[in-house]
Amino acid sequence: MIVCVAVVGHQNNPLYIQSFTEEDDALKLHHIVHCSLDVVDERVNNPKKSGPTLNETFLGLLYPTENYKVYGYLTNTKVKFILVTTDLDVRDADVRNFFRRFHAAYVDAVSNPFHVPGKKITSKTFAERVSTIVKSFGLSSAG
Amino acid sequence: MEEYPEEYRTPPVSLVSLVGCAEHQAVISRHLLAEQPPINTLALPDLSNFLLLLAQKDSSKPPQASGILRRDWLIKHRTRIPSVVAALFSSDQVSGDPTQWLQVCSDLDNLKAVLRPRNIKLVVVVIFQSSSKDDINEDRYLALRKRAEVDTKYLLNFNPNDDTELKQSLTRLGSTFAELASTYYREEGRRIKTRIEKKSYSSIDFNIRYCFKVAVFAEFRRDWVEALRSYEDAYHTVREMIGTSTRLPPIQRLVEIKTVAEQLHFKISTLLLHGGKVKEAVIWFNQHNASYRKLVGAPEVIFLHWEWMSRQFLVFAELLETSSVSVPGISSLVSGTADGALTEWQFHPSYYYQLAAHYLKEKRLSLELTLSMSETAIETDSSAESVVPSVYVGQFVRLLEQGDAVQPLTDEEYTRFAIAEGKRYQDTFEIIALLKKSCESYGNLKPRRMGSYCGLQMAAEYFAVGDFSNAKQLFDEVASQYRQEGWVTLLWEVVGYLRECSRKSGSVKDFIEYSLEMAALPVLSGTDPQGFKECGPAGPPSLSQREIIHKEVFQLVSGEAGSASAEDNNDIKINGDNPLHLEIDLVSPLRLVLLASVAFHEQIIKPGVSTSITLSLLSQLPLNVEIDQLEVQFNQSKCNFIIVNAQRPPLAATTEDQEGHRVESAPSLTLATNKWLRLTYDIKSEQSGRLECISVIAKMGPHFTICCRAECPASMEDLPLWKFEERVETFPTKDPALAFSGQKATHVEEPDPLVDLNIGASGPALAEESFIVPVTVVSRGHDIYSGELKINIVDVRGGGLFSPRETEPSAIESHHVELLGVVGPEGEDESQLNSDEIKKIQQSFGLVSVPFLKNGDSWSCKLEIKWHRPKPVMLFVSLGYSPHSNESTAQKVNVHKSLQIEGKTAVEISHRFMLPFRREPLLLTRIKPAPESEKLPSLPSNETSLLIISARNCTEVPLQLLSMSVDNEDGDSERSCSVQHGGEDNLGPALLVPGEEFKKVFTIIPLVDSSKLNLGTVCLRWRRNDHSGSTITETWVLTKHKLPEVELEVSPLVVSLECPPYAIIGEPFTYLVKIQNQTPLLQEIKFSLADAQSFVLSGSHSDTFFVLPKSQHALSYKVVPLASGSQQLPKVTVTSVRYSAGFQASSTASTVFVFPSKPEFKMGDAGETTRMQSIASE
Repeated sequence: MIVCVAVVGHQNNPLYIQSFTEEDDALKLHHIVHCSLDVVDERVNNPKKSGPTLNETFLGLLYPTENYKVYGYLTNTKVKFILVTTDLDVRDADVRNFFRRFHAAYVDAVSNPFHVPGKKITSKTFAERVSTIVKSFGLSSAG
Repeated sequence: MEEYPEEYRTPPVSLVSLVGCAEHQAVISRHLLAEQPPINTLALPDLSNFLLLLAQKDSSKPPQASGILRRDWLIKHRTRIPSVVAALFSSDQVSGDPTQWLQVCSDLDNLKAVLRPRNIKLVVVVIFQSSSKDDINEDRYLALRKRAEVDTKYLLNFNPNDDTELKQSLTRLGSTFAELASTYYREEGRRIKTRIEKKSYSSIDFNIRYCFKVAVFAEFRRDWVEALRSYEDAYHTVREMIGTSTRLPPIQRLVEIKTVAEQLHFKISTLLLHGGKVKEAVIWFNQHNASYRKLVGAPEVIFLHWEWMSRQFLVFAELLETSSVSVPGISSLVSGTADGALTEWQFHPSYYYQLAAHYLKEKRLSLELTLSMSETAIETDSSAESVVPSVYVGQFVRLLEQGDAVQPLTDEEYTRFAIAEGKRYQDTFEIIALLKKSCESYGNLKPRRMGSYCGLQMAAEYFAVGDFSNAKQLFDEVASQYRQEGWVTLLWEVVGYLRECSRKSGSVKDFIEYSLEMAALPVLSGTDPQGFKECGPAGPPSLSQREIIHKEVFQLVSGEAGSASAEDNNDIKINGDNPLHLEIDLVSPLRLVLLASVAFHEQIIKPGVSTSITLSLLSQLPLNVEIDQLEVQFNQSKCNFIIVNAQRPPLAATTEDQEGHRVESAPSLTLATNKWLRLTYDIKSEQSGRLECISVIAKMGPHFTICCRAECPASMEDLPLWKFEERVETFPTKDPALAFSGQKATHVEEPDPLVDLNIGASGPALAEESFIVPVTVVSRGHDIYSGELKINIVDVRGGGLFSPRETEPSAIESHHVELLGVVGPEGEDESQLNSDEIKKIQQSFGLVSVPFLKNGDSWSCKLEIKWHRPKPVMLFVSLGYSPHSNESTAQKVNVHKSLQIEGKTAVEISHRFMLPFRREPLLLTRIKPAPESEKLPSLPSNETSLLIISARNCTEVPLQLLSMSVDNEDGDSERSCSVQHGGEDNLGPALLVPGEEFKKVFTIIPLVDSSKLNLGTVCLRWRRNDHSGSTITETWVLTKHKLPEVELEVSPLVVSLECPPYAIIGEPFTYLVKIQNQTPLLQEIKFSLADAQSFVLSGSHSDTFFVLPKSQHALSYKVVPLASGSQQLPKVTVTSVRYSAGFQASSTASTVFVFPSKPEFKMGDAGETTRMQSIASE
């Protein structure tokens, strides 16, 4: 289950962060997302470490915490997408698929002429679309 | 890692024992320890000690297994049970008398009896006391070997007397011991292994124990692969035991299993890491972690599980840290993980430290829970005192009062014991230590955010234990990180902690600052507050929470007995004794709270003229803020003014301490959220220079002020944090153009001067003349105090101003124009000026002080400037003065004037040489100029030549000439020639109108016989023909003109024409052409005569004749004029054959005036010739 998704701007400021959990650990998820930016930085600044993933938007598993797995995605405008999930065995393909759809939703949201680039995404449509994508995560592989 | 005993943490070392001959044991054990691999030695001086040592063991052997691993088994093998025993005998004992020999035999028997059941190897060493070897016979050796039942090679000789022998003996001993030890451990291992293979064990406990033993024996042999395999077997078997074993009560059983698993895991990890297999170690740890994490155990002892988990992470972190030096590099490891299951941080100890801290926190949490649930148990925990660790790893027993007897525990007893133990630990400090380690090691890698998170957790721990100074320091670091990146919710939490810290430590200023910052954070109602229950003391971030904080702060500030101070302890209050003043600068996080933008409407203003200034304030506080009073401060403190809120009663303090500042009143000073409060006021400054608004001080409540640094709207940065939010953004000023260009500073111009400065130069200046430039200062409205007149002369064609310092070293010649002096107004002597006034005159710079002038007065001076060369210059005159007598204000007013003045040459002097009329000496250089000779004019020597000097007035003003003379410049009395003039020198003075030329004729008679002749210098005295009265004072200007040198040469031939001065028609006259030969040579001369229309002549037309040396030949013609007027005589051409030089008389020389009839002349007294010479020509 996805517990948190986030869009992080190129100054590492949060643009959109939404948790999908019943528990009171939203703040913890914020911390996890924030910490995962370190790994993104690391991967971006030392591309030789990531080797074959150069020029790829999908950054893969960023870091495993005890109960979560964090995946990252970096657009070519240096906007980062972060996904936190509680599933212990996640297929890379599912995550890639998720990020692709998430990216599309993001592009649509920022293409809104009333959206100012660099500001937080407050669009309700975007939020709804994201929650749809989150809910459908993993279903394709299951079904 | 330190909680494990030493024997577990280091690889085992083989142990041998030396018995007897104590004096040699030290040498041997030293040698063995230095071996590679080292061998530990158990040195016993006597056999009896050894028997005692081994005998101890047998007694405590348990009848049946009641645990998995014995706690002391490993240490026993490492320190007490040797693999090899070496019995040392001296050669004397062996070869001695029968009693000695018997003793040896009995010792050996005893030893054998002890060793055989344990399979310990025996070596017999014979030590030679003397160098002689052969004092032991072969039979004895054989007997000894037989008695000891050892192989020949295990009966060794040891010779300590000789160095080389000793070395050999030691080497031999070492290799033998190593071989035997290895054999021993292998055999032991194999023996136990067969038990496993045959499954000849009664319980699974033994299986684990055997595997462990095999592994340890393999380690003794340094067979790491085998050791690892056996440890893994043991580990897996332990894992299987869960749920199957029933030997102990469930809680203790799980504890034992976990403890054993932990130990085995530790061994495996150590082996893997020492083998450099970091990746495998990490994977192994992940598996270990995954398989035990869920084994929480009974609910009352959950904390034991978390403690155990924490320990796993801590130990692994320490292992990783100690082995990381040998790891080649994390990056290479990561790239190798194809499955992607491992990430960078999993190779880094900080990750494990962090998790260890995390689990320790869990442990503390569950322990607290347990404690709160079992209040009663705590009271009766005195029974736990006698609980001690049992002989088995991971088991505890109760020690009974009498003797060594022990009694197993029930689970309830154990739980009580565990809780009592748990309470003794200071988990908080442990957690802080772990986090600090993690934070430090993250810090080396520069992942700042992870470090921040650790710091945050650390600070929260400090906070929990009440160490507020440490907490605050850490929180501050973390907060700055979050501020920088705009993570508002995280910042909310941190600042919330900080706010509580400052509240608890009674720091009012910090408390207000943090409260204001929190209230102004961009936390909007849209955020779901439900998910943020763990936000620390600040509560979940929400708009309502912000409003609560806001209200709390302003209650406190307004001096009302704030609820915060009432309910909480103490010092948080603001009153007359504790006024509060906050500073907000450009980088302060409190910019959100109050932002002041100040814009002058004009960038340049005149002094005393008022302009508008717009003051705009913006606040992001959630509720409206009422400001009592605003004070606007400028760099010119006279301009400061105060804006008072008309709705508030004036504060008592304002009237007292603000002396003389302008007070404005505004109808309302209410700051609404995200809405500019714009105030426009007039401002004027009397002082020229920069006028800048520095700060705006807002007073809210009687004892609370915020000083906000003024910012320019043009260069204002976005509000931090809020810049990422969608919000209505408006301009700070009503005029959008001002919002883009407005500055917080303006320039105040100098006051306009009310003084006239005139430079009255009349026309161009003349070279060599002292040109007078009158300068007049007329006051027209200002009094002039301490006036200074600066004069600068600058080359028009660039070259810049000559600064006074630059001109000093340079020579006068470089200055074509020079400022000679400044003459004060008439009647004022220059010496008087010098005495008390400043006056500095340099070649191109002058400084004169102007005396005090009242309004309407005037003052003038004259600049005396001399042009050495004709050159246009720019004259700059500037007057600086202060209109007020008070010098300290230093408010100078400056007036500048400039004038371009042309410099011109006054007179142009030229000269011309002439020969006497109708007399032409032949000058050879004129015919054939030598190419190399300079173009000096040449004059014939021994002849009288004429010099005509003319002076032309080049100016546009009439000049007066006083005199013109040719002087010998050098002043030597001997003159090389006489230059004479017929008339008087003094011209008396002659007027020379512009463009007119004045000529004067001199005769030159060379006096010396030299080739060069220096004629001297023409001196011309002149002045302007000025009609003003001041001409009297003007001096005559002397202009000099150096005449060129002339060359003298002897002329070989002189041709002179002779004819009367005039002729009359029809009257014949004689026309003579005389040729004088001045050479000592015969000269052949050709001549020809051309006919002229107006004359009839008699004589030969052409001929050739010879002129004798130093003699003269005359050609004589009788000529009758036929026409009147100025007529051309017949032209004679004379040619010297020798010099191939021809002569033809010039037309003036051969012209004669013919009167129609004989004229009547009235002869004057002056000679005709004199007149003709001295009068200026037409």
